[in-house]
Amino acid sequence: MRSLGKSWLLLTGFVLFYIIYLLFGALVFSSIERPVEEKLRHDMDLLREEFLNQSCVNAASLERFLVRVLKAHKYGVSVLRNSSETSNWDLASSMFFANTLVTTVGYGHTTPLSDAGKAFSIFYALMGVPFTMLVLTACVQRLMYPLVLAPVSLLQRSGLEPRPATMVHFLLLLLLVVLCFFLAPAAVFSVVEMSWTFLDGIYFCFISLCTIGLGDFVPATQPGQRYRALYQVGVMVYLFVGLMMMYLLLRSFHKMADLHGLTTFLQLPRCEESDPDEDREPIVDDEPRQPLPKDQAASKPLDPASQPSYNSINKG
Amino acid sequence: MRWKTVSAIFFLVVLYLIIGATVFKALEQPYESAQKLAILAEKLKFLTMHPCVNSSELENLVKQVVSAVRAGVNPSGSLSNQTSLWDLSSSFFFAGTVITTIGFGNISPHTEGGQIFCIVYALLGIPLFGFLLAGVGDQLGTIFGKGIAKVEKMIVKWKVSQTKIRVISTLLFILFGCLIFVALPAVIFKHIEGWSTLDSIYFVVITLTTIGFGDFVAGEKGLEYLDYYKPVVWFWILVGLAYFAAVLSMIGDWFRVISKKTKEEVGEFRAHAAEWTANVSAEFKETRRRLSVDIYDKFQRAASIKRKLSSELGINTSMNQEMTPGKRTLSANLCEDREPYPNLTLSLSPVPGALTRNGSLYLNGLSPDYADRREIAIIENLK
Repeated sequence: MRSLGKSWLLLTGFVLFYIIYLLFGALVFSSIERPVEEKLRHDMDLLREEFLNQSCVNAASLERFLVRVLKAHKYGVSVLRNSSETSNWDLASSMFFANTLVTTVGYGHTTPLSDAGKAFSIFYALMGVPFTMLVLTACVQRLMYPLVLAPVSLLQRSGLEPRPATMVHFLLLLLLVVLCFFLAPAAVFSVVEMSWTFLDGIYFCFISLCTIGLGDFVPATQPGQRYRALYQVGVMVYLFVGLMMMYLLLRSFHKMADLHGLTTFLQLPRCEESDPDEDREPIVDDEPRQPLPKDQAASKPLDPASQPSYNSINKG
Repeated sequence: MRWKTVSAIFFLVVLYLIIGATVFKALEQPYESAQKLAILAEKLKFLTMHPCVNSSELENLVKQVVSAVRAGVNPSGSLSNQTSLWDLSSSFFFAGTVITTIGFGNISPHTEGGQIFCIVYALLGIPLFGFLLAGVGDQLGTIFGKGIAKVEKMIVKWKVSQTKIRVISTLLFILFGCLIFVALPAVIFKHIEGWSTLDSIYFVVITLTTIGFGDFVAGEKGLEYLDYYKPVVWFWILVGLAYFAAVLSMIGDWFRVISKKTKEEVGEFRAHAAEWTANVSAEFKETRRRLSVDIYDKFQRAASIKRKLSSELGINTSMNQEMTPGKRTLSANLCEDREPYPNLTLSLSPVPGALTRNGSLYLNGLSPDYADRREIAIIENLK
């Protein structure tokens, strides 16, 4: 009973802290962005005035026109002259879209217009998202040995204690991931994409690899992009591998936290030692697998430091 | 998992993506072309209606307007009646979309400071939200588990099998959850936001799987919302995410179990088939061999016992057709008793492991030394 009360207490503590965190973020964003927004709005007003003054267009017809243009733009259809050749739904772009759907990044630079497209997206996502998560966790499990367990044992053999060894390894892995999956691609993007700065590249990499996917920066959408299909496939591969590395990072962090007793302190599920036993796991008996979320939360540990979704697929 | 399995699944995912790509292309490209034509026609109409505007000026204006809209400023309408996109409640909503990794994108930071802060904020916030979600999922699971236990107690009275109970509880979970977290919000959104039914369901699914395109966002339009609308939406997202996480991991488990079970079943089936064929052929060979040896054995024994009998009873071996009824029945009984012996001799020999496992030892239920004892007893009786 005491542990039940303690878990409720912990939960409410988390919720409160979360709300405070959100409020804090809101305040900071508001104070940073609002002045810029005001200025932009002011500029737009001036632009409109200028346009209306020097032409015969009246305000109403301009409004109508602009509304139509913006509505089309929201779906990725542009009225500008030099963007009429490239489609947003040729094979490579559709595959890119399917990829953003399935990895839950969801940029939103192109969205399904037709009803059939929307219905299909629903089913495609419901099937594809767990599928992708399964693949990612499977790959990560295979990569755990050469990238995490072997180096840690190497470090231990060279004299370090287990705890510092895991920490050192985690920091090294973090450095490697940041170098290869944030800085290097950001440099590439800032060169290939005409209007992106280096910071924009890093921002894009981070937002994509955390699967937030705001969609304000999307590669391969500039008109007149050369080798567009190849570029899009390249970005897809980068997303996939990057996601895998993020999972790997989170998993090794979880293992490290386990070792340092953080997870037990916060009453979170531990990382199971399930890597070598995956193949020898006892096959589910004749009954269908117990699907209750309670069992899931208890037996298949939710990786708390990972993506907030689909944690329980990530076994350990 | 072995590399083979992983690469197999990987190829399956790629295949899945390609299939999705072709379907999306087939569904969407016609619409896109239609939209393009429509908007170009609009542009031409505008230009002809207002001949003092030339094409390049219009292009310029449109470019600026589009980039302003991307920054969140809508130039239509006047300055006074517009709410800012970065007032406190909208920023709160934006922070929420960042942390849950939904990332609608209808609002996004455009200043350098905003972008850097967004990165740092997400780095800390996403794990935090992960903890929260784990906790909420846990509580949700316990609540649901208790309910299911009560229902199961009721169902057990109807003497339904354990499997059926589990299946029923899964279905109940999915149904109930869909009702509370998908159907009900969809109806509410449809009424408040004025979307169609499909659009509402589409929005719910896209949000709760954290894809978050941003083409539909609750609370985006400048409608008169009730004060508690946005906080309720946020709360719904939190609990709905936990539910969706459970459902999606259940689907993932099914994939896993199905693939494992199929692999196992196929493997088991093949192993069983091989074993069975091996057993049968081994038995055949053994039977044939034993029979041939046994027949010879029996013949020898019969011959020796006959000789004994004839020597004792004074019967000439050459005249063995003439037997008294008593001796005939005796010899008939002797022959009869040897019927079960062929099987016994089978089990007497050291059989290979397969045969014993199949229980051929017990085909006749007689033990090896039984035969000897019976034979000896008969011979003793004869004496």
